[in-house]
Amino acid sequence: MSRFFTTGSDSESESSLSGEELVTKPVGGNYGKQPLLLSEDEEDTKRVVRSAKDKRFEELTNLIRTIRNAMKIRDVTKCLEEFELLGKAYGKAKSIVDKEGVPRFYIRILADLEDYLNELWEDKEGKQTALASRFLKKAPTTDEDKKAAEKKREDKAKKKHDRKSKRLDEEEEDNEGGEWERVRGGVPLVKEKPKMFAKGTEITHAVVIKKLNEILQARGKKGTDRAAQIELLQLLVQIAAENNLGEGVIVKIKFNIIASLYDYNPNLATYMKPEMWGKCLDCINELMDILFANPNIFVGENILEESENLHNADQPLRVRGCILTLVERMDEEFTKIMQNTDPHSQEYVEHLKDEAQVCAIIERVQRYLEEKGTTEEVCRIYLLRILHTYYKFDYKAHQRQLTPPEGSSKSEQDQAENEGEDSAVLMERLCKYIYAKDRTDRIRTCAILCHIYHHALHSRWYQARDLMLMSHLQDNIQHADPPVQILYNRTMVQLGICAFRQGLTKDAHNALLDIQSSGRAKELLGQGLLLRSLQERNQEQEKVERRRQVPFHLHINLELLECVYLVSAMLLEIPYMAAHESDARRRMISKQFHHQLRVGERQPLLGPPESMREHVVAASKAMKMGDWKTCHSFIINEKMNGKVWDLFPEADKVRTMLVRKIQEESLRTYLFTYSSVYDSISMETLSDMFELDLPTVHSIISKMIINEELMASLDQPTQTVVMHRTEPTAQQNLALQLAEKLGSLVENNERVFDHKQGTYGGYFRDQKDGYRKNEGYMRRGGYRQQQSQTAY
Amino acid sequence: MASRKEGTGSTATSSSSTAGAAGKGKGKGGSGDSAVKQVQIDGLVVLKIIKHYQEEGQGTEVVQGVLLGLVVEDRLEITNCFPFPQHTEDDADFDEVQYQMEMMRSLRHVNIDHLHVGWYQSTYYGSFVTRALLDSQFSYQHAIEESVVLIYDPIKTAQGSLSLKAYRLTPKLMEVCKEKDFSPEALKKANITFEYMFEEVPIVIKNSHLINVLMWELEKKSAVADKHELLSLASSIFTLHFSNHLGKNLQLLMDRVDEMSQDIVKYNTYMRNTSKQQQQKHQYQQRRQQENMQRQSRGEPPLPEEDLSKLFKPPQPPARMDSLLIAGQINTYCQNIKEFTAQNLGKLFMAQALQEYNN
Repeated sequence: MSRFFTTGSDSESESSLSGEELVTKPVGGNYGKQPLLLSEDEEDTKRVVRSAKDKRFEELTNLIRTIRNAMKIRDVTKCLEEFELLGKAYGKAKSIVDKEGVPRFYIRILADLEDYLNELWEDKEGKQTALASRFLKKAPTTDEDKKAAEKKREDKAKKKHDRKSKRLDEEEEDNEGGEWERVRGGVPLVKEKPKMFAKGTEITHAVVIKKLNEILQARGKKGTDRAAQIELLQLLVQIAAENNLGEGVIVKIKFNIIASLYDYNPNLATYMKPEMWGKCLDCINELMDILFANPNIFVGENILEESENLHNADQPLRVRGCILTLVERMDEEFTKIMQNTDPHSQEYVEHLKDEAQVCAIIERVQRYLEEKGTTEEVCRIYLLRILHTYYKFDYKAHQRQLTPPEGSSKSEQDQAENEGEDSAVLMERLCKYIYAKDRTDRIRTCAILCHIYHHALHSRWYQARDLMLMSHLQDNIQHADPPVQILYNRTMVQLGICAFRQGLTKDAHNALLDIQSSGRAKELLGQGLLLRSLQERNQEQEKVERRRQVPFHLHINLELLECVYLVSAMLLEIPYMAAHESDARRRMISKQFHHQLRVGERQPLLGPPESMREHVVAASKAMKMGDWKTCHSFIINEKMNGKVWDLFPEADKVRTMLVRKIQEESLRTYLFTYSSVYDSISMETLSDMFELDLPTVHSIISKMIINEELMASLDQPTQTVVMHRTEPTAQQNLALQLAEKLGSLVENNERVFDHKQGTYGGYFRDQKDGYRKNEGYMRRGGYRQQQSQTAY
Repeated sequence: MASRKEGTGSTATSSSSTAGAAGKGKGKGGSGDSAVKQVQIDGLVVLKIIKHYQEEGQGTEVVQGVLLGLVVEDRLEITNCFPFPQHTEDDADFDEVQYQMEMMRSLRHVNIDHLHVGWYQSTYYGSFVTRALLDSQFSYQHAIEESVVLIYDPIKTAQGSLSLKAYRLTPKLMEVCKEKDFSPEALKKANITFEYMFEEVPIVIKNSHLINVLMWELEKKSAVADKHELLSLASSIFTLHFSNHLGKNLQLLMDRVDEMSQDIVKYNTYMRNTSKQQQQKHQYQQRRQQENMQRQSRGEPPLPEEDLSKLFKPPQPPARMDSLLIAGQINTYCQNIKEFTAQNLGKLFMAQALQEYNN
């Protein structure tokens, strides 16, 4: 080591390196250039004559020397650079090395480097002193490089180790110790850091801020002890408070404490620990206290570091930092915590209790920003507020509206809401503000969706629907980002469920169709990942998807969703099927419902229904026969109540609606299916059969007659329905269809003939043929003519 | 026509069916110049085929088997048969040829006719005119000239009239199939239409005298009230089969008509493409000619001839075989429906007359 030890400074070694390069290049290049070089450069002739081996080795030794120098002065950057060059040079010298064997000095430097690095790491981790951070402070950019370099070195060293492990046994001098002493001497003050300031130092703003900056510089660097950093900052706050340095400084430090709390977890996926979370909430609360108490403090992210005014009490205090960002981040952290907690544990409930606090903070910030913030900021905080309000059913308002008491299931956050204000009014106010003032599309979209969701949740179907239609979101939601799309899906589902509660089966079905038909409702609502697609996405995607999941307390019950969908499909599909029994062009209203029916049919042995789906299938079968009582008993019973219907806020109302719907649709189905066997049927009988009152029966039948679904007429005096019996039989239907098909076949055939004859013939025939007078054919004939004209 | 009622079959069913089959065979039967003029089936074979279907076939699934026998003068005598084993997914490596050879060898050991003379297949509402049947019958006929395919219709049989028909490919179709050219031109040249694809060979069911004696004896003992039969047949047709059978047939017919339509549309597109291309080609040639004329007037050498077929690749003509098959299938359906409705109409009139008479 001492052999190569020369007191070369960085710049010197660098220059020597560049000189080295200049020399080696021509040699390393092709030999064809040598004569030219010779003639050109007289001085170098001596060098060129030397053997290739010497040249290479000298190159290597030179590099090694610089590395050793760098090691001594702990210049890791330099070390790395040189090491990379060394690796290259070694690669160049490969042929010689192969011939001569690996040079000893090369192995030695590798081993030394490894030891050196290990020591450096151990030293840092073991002692936990700020030495490393100090060291890092000196060379702030090396962090990443060092990591990479270390890996590289280790690889290399290992390779060499394997190759020449025997030789390496004779490991020699380790004068790192001596080196160590020297370096420590160069880094004073480190030990005292926890004490912050030397005794007797006068604590002034400047000192505190300097200290703060010093601490902050270590932020985000590898090896910085984040917990210690937070403690340091808190200590600093205390000192600042003790020394009465004014609110500005405290606010500034607090901002930084919260930021470092957020930084505590290096990974975006991991969530805050509960104690950190608690600290964070407290801290924000304190910060808000200060801000409220001192209206002369201005906070803003656009205030530059230079223009900050932390202590000059004459002017308003200006502090850089954004309270809104902090709160948004807090909200994110809260979501993350909820996502990562097992939703069925007590822990989740505990965490959920924090939601009240979160809401309170958001409310405070909202109040603060309403006074001081810009409209944009107000919009953002409003959105945050909306996002914490829209999914909660407002029981108080509900009770105020109707007197009947309600079984509450999820009203634990009620106290967080405005006592006096209905959430509906609140939503209205916040959303309207956003609609009017927001300039970013995203916030408005979210606000609209939340607003619709809230309306739907509280059974204000028409408002919700109108808002949805007015927003035109259905047209362009596919361009939105996934979280907004998830929100949209949630809203649509809620809208559908709302329609169902109102007895609007068709609307309910339409709203739920998109979500349900894909079979990926879980994924679309952000309530879980599908196992099926696990192999299709890599880990990275999965992480991203995991982050999008909606926390459990916001979930929409999937079974309820499916049941609502299936029941509304049943109410639509069964009468439709009965009406179009023999229609070849009959299309399915709901594929999923048909799928369930088929699954039910495939069962070899049909026991009493167990699951929700089986219940619906069994009910559908009963309904097909017009047996509404059985259908009713399948849809509404203990099991289904427990599984589905009791989940609605107004369960009884929904059940009554459902019974009535079943009666009506069963009546329709009955009439469709069995009208062919009746000559006439008394409406009174029908009203007895389906337990509907006479006017209802009358209106249903009238509607069917008007829509030409039922070929019958009403005989008023006797209150009977007289069937016309003009419906074609199955055979007749088939024959009609066949005739139609044959018609098109002939049509097609003639087109072929036209080709052979040319258009002229076709045109001629068109005029002549008698059967073409038929209107349908005429129309098609016209079309054909046009087409043939364009074809030629 | 050659439908001798050799077998005084156990019921009227077999005799009626042979008559029906023979009646249709009349039109085309003679046209073939093949040595075989009629097919004589042993009663045993008929029963075995029926049994095979009863045991293994259900719904649209078809059963198939091998016919054994030999040619005597101008008759093909089918004296025995054995079924192909049903395919299951789990024994995909089952060697069918091996099985057949094995089977035939075993039959030979017990002194049964072991010559391969064709195959049989059950059908679902007469839907047997398919590509698969054509292909396999072609390979049979290619290997064994006299082979036929027996089509057994279990549904008709269940109604009370045994339906068993023997078909073979016409020599014309054989030629076309050999060349494997199903383009419109080739078919036109071969002058093949759907009527001349398959020819029906008249069938005779023959039993040994011993069996005939047994039949006679059984007939005496059986207490079938033959008066009843007409009415019950009529009623069964009206209640059970009228809606079902006719409807099914219509449905199937409609499906085929749809296919036919699609086929024609395809052909139409082809025609349009060709004519368009022809036009382009023509234009190109004209332009070329004009240019050459100009060049000539300027004294330059004419442009070299180019391969026009390379410039204008003619569109791939659609294979017409499928549409022929569909047409054939439609034909069978129509025959079925016609037959069925004719019978029923007759019965209706008869019932009406009876009623009037009673009144």
